[in-house]
Amino acid sequence: MRVTQNSSFNLVKDTVHQSRSRMEDLQEKAVTMKKLNRPSDNPINAAKVLEMRSEKVKNEQFLDNARLAENYLRSSESVISELSDIVLRAKDIAIGQASGASSSQASRVGVAEEVAQLYQQAVGLANTRIGDRYLFGGYKTDTPPVNPNGQYEGDRGEAMVEISNGVFIGMNLPGVEVFNTNADVSGDQSRLMQREAAVAQGDPDLAQAEPIRDKNSPENVNAFSELGNLRIALLTGDLGGIRNTLDRFDEIHENLTAQRAKIGSRLQGIESAAKTMERANITNSKLNSEFEDADMASVMTDLAREESVLKSVLGTSNRLIQPTLMDFLR
Amino acid sequence: MGASNVMQTGHTGMIAAKTAMRTTGHNIANANTEGYSRQRVEQKSQPAIAIKGITDNVGRGVQVDRIERYNDNYVTKQLRDGQQELSNMEERDLLLLQVEDIFNEMNGEGMNRLMTKFFNEFRKLANDPDSEAVRQSVREATNAMVQDFKRLRSRVTDVQSQIDNRVEGYVSETNSLIRQLGSLNQKIVEAETAGRSANDLLDSRDRTLQELGKMFDLSVHYDDRGNFNVDLKGIGPILNGVHGLELSTQRSSADPSNGKRDGSVDILMTGSANNKVTHAIRGGKFGALVEVRDSTLTNIIDKLDDLAFSLTRAVNQVHTQGYGRTGRAGVEFFKGLTQKAGAAENIDLSDSIKASVDNIAAGALPNATGDNRIANSIANIQNLRIMNEGKVTTDDWFNSIVSDVGVKAGRNREALDQQRGIIDQITKIRDQVAGVSIDEETANLLQYQQAFDASAKVIQVADEMLETVLNLKR
Repeated sequence: MRVTQNSSFNLVKDTVHQSRSRMEDLQEKAVTMKKLNRPSDNPINAAKVLEMRSEKVKNEQFLDNARLAENYLRSSESVISELSDIVLRAKDIAIGQASGASSSQASRVGVAEEVAQLYQQAVGLANTRIGDRYLFGGYKTDTPPVNPNGQYEGDRGEAMVEISNGVFIGMNLPGVEVFNTNADVSGDQSRLMQREAAVAQGDPDLAQAEPIRDKNSPENVNAFSELGNLRIALLTGDLGGIRNTLDRFDEIHENLTAQRAKIGSRLQGIESAAKTMERANITNSKLNSEFEDADMASVMTDLAREESVLKSVLGTSNRLIQPTLMDFLR
Repeated sequence: MGASNVMQTGHTGMIAAKTAMRTTGHNIANANTEGYSRQRVEQKSQPAIAIKGITDNVGRGVQVDRIERYNDNYVTKQLRDGQQELSNMEERDLLLLQVEDIFNEMNGEGMNRLMTKFFNEFRKLANDPDSEAVRQSVREATNAMVQDFKRLRSRVTDVQSQIDNRVEGYVSETNSLIRQLGSLNQKIVEAETAGRSANDLLDSRDRTLQELGKMFDLSVHYDDRGNFNVDLKGIGPILNGVHGLELSTQRSSADPSNGKRDGSVDILMTGSANNKVTHAIRGGKFGALVEVRDSTLTNIIDKLDDLAFSLTRAVNQVHTQGYGRTGRAGVEFFKGLTQKAGAAENIDLSDSIKASVDNIAAGALPNATGDNRIANSIANIQNLRIMNEGKVTTDDWFNSIVSDVGVKAGRNREALDQQRGIIDQITKIRDQVAGVSIDEETANLLQYQQAFDASAKVIQVADEMLETVLNLKR
């Protein structure tokens, strides 16, 4: 084989270039500590890394959402549990005053005052706020959901938050479902107001006219109405009316317990979603680092090896280029 | 046979040796000249003639037959073809590197993040639909995304117009190379008809052809009248002997079937039946430039436009169903776009949203401050497959642009490295045949020097013989 000057020089130049470009590559990895510095380094992994990045941002938001929903639901739960206490206390009062033997009109008027207090407390609890948002107003978060007459002024909106990809969970319970045992049947609150007015005017006949219960069709019981009913029954000495409230307080209490159970299961859902999310975050960052991060130990070893390659290339070049026949013809 | 004949014989030897030494010197001088093919003096013996008194014929010395150029046409062609592909890949590499740079999101910033942020702001809005601060930040995040759409698109079109400039530059380079080839052809014919060696002119032509071959795929052949012709592969002759055609450029209107954008440059060939050769030229720098401009980049722009268009449409569809804080319904979030083309450039917030963040609709009911259904639906668009006829999500769509560019650039770079290796190999083979080896030339120099010395000695001896003859008389 003829070896020409050009090919020897080219060989030297090429090997030096190759070695230097490998070193440059390694140096970039060493400096950025990444092996994925541009998409072409590994296009498939690059797309995957981008995907995982947006996943991570989303997951963080989902975790935020989960925390927010948890906060709302826990607050709702504590309000509902206080409402339960109020209902139980009202029931106690009703039991105490239900029989003529153990109570007198004077004692009934006395406890009626307590029932009025309970009513005020209940309305206050129903109008609980977190920040500047009313908890039980449904979508109507800027106005008190229950007016002083115990009427619900919110709507049935449930604000959904995303706690993992495409999984939404309600962060509030619309008050209408908390305060009513059967919200789909419209409660006759106007009737209650007529009776309130009758009591105020001292018209016991109208005040005593109890709505008739129809056992066949589902009936709605409203917590505030029932507290109002109890107060009126106490004031008017309507023992039957007082007894009537007992079942209804039970129904209300049952409903409140059901609402708490609902919250409990939502909280559980949130917790498991958050756990999955945290696990996914860990897996993602592991995978991410696998795709993106350079193995520094091997980069450094490679760099050292490449350095010795370059040195030997330069060393041998010296021998390869130097002598020609000219040097020996003296 | 006279002594003067012997002297003459010695003289031919000296001339041949001198010519050989001169050629050797020429080789050594050109050892580093690119495209130079080593030359060798081919000598032959002068035919013997009958001499009185001798039964056999006697040789009359040496004569220089011709100066041979060591060159393998097949290797030259391989080298030219290899260079054509190499230039194609190098040009492509240069462009794709820039495009990759535009879409390099590996450092963490860029459209991928901004798009996620956009959707995320709607998730935050869903958490707090009535908050002024969150609404402001929804608008800010959207603005950042809109600006990035515009930035990406304009940077890609920048590369396209940069390609146009390069095409124009290469066209004038090509024309000058074709003119050079024409005049070289003329000189070669002149030299050859005069019986002179055209070795160095042939080297020049090979070199010029190689340069021209970097521009596009070409083929060469001699026609039946002995003219040296260059054909543009797939188009036709561009040089016939000394007559060359010219390329020219023209900014022309769009050619959608080839992906050419309005106002970008077309390549024209004078004398071609169909003047426009932009998309007929294959290989080389032109091939790379046109393909990247009209296929790769146009494709990216179309994808960006599609993304911007589909995103604005999907968001608007949901947003117009909702109610803003002031109870206004039917407000568009983005400015409505009528067509896909240019969507990534024309994307913008609607005037109502620009005017007030109160017009951002978070809920599906009027006067329900806690209603977050619209915000949730918009955030959920991120999970919907709204691209490519319901097959791909917006995230995947954009990531596929990034990885497409990466795949193209990566594959090209690999091929480029390979091609460099191939070129090295062919160059080595060419050097084996045509390259100058200093060792060899030095040895030859000594050999010819000795031949020269010996021939001179012959003359000296002949001279002495003549003197002896002349002294016979004394």
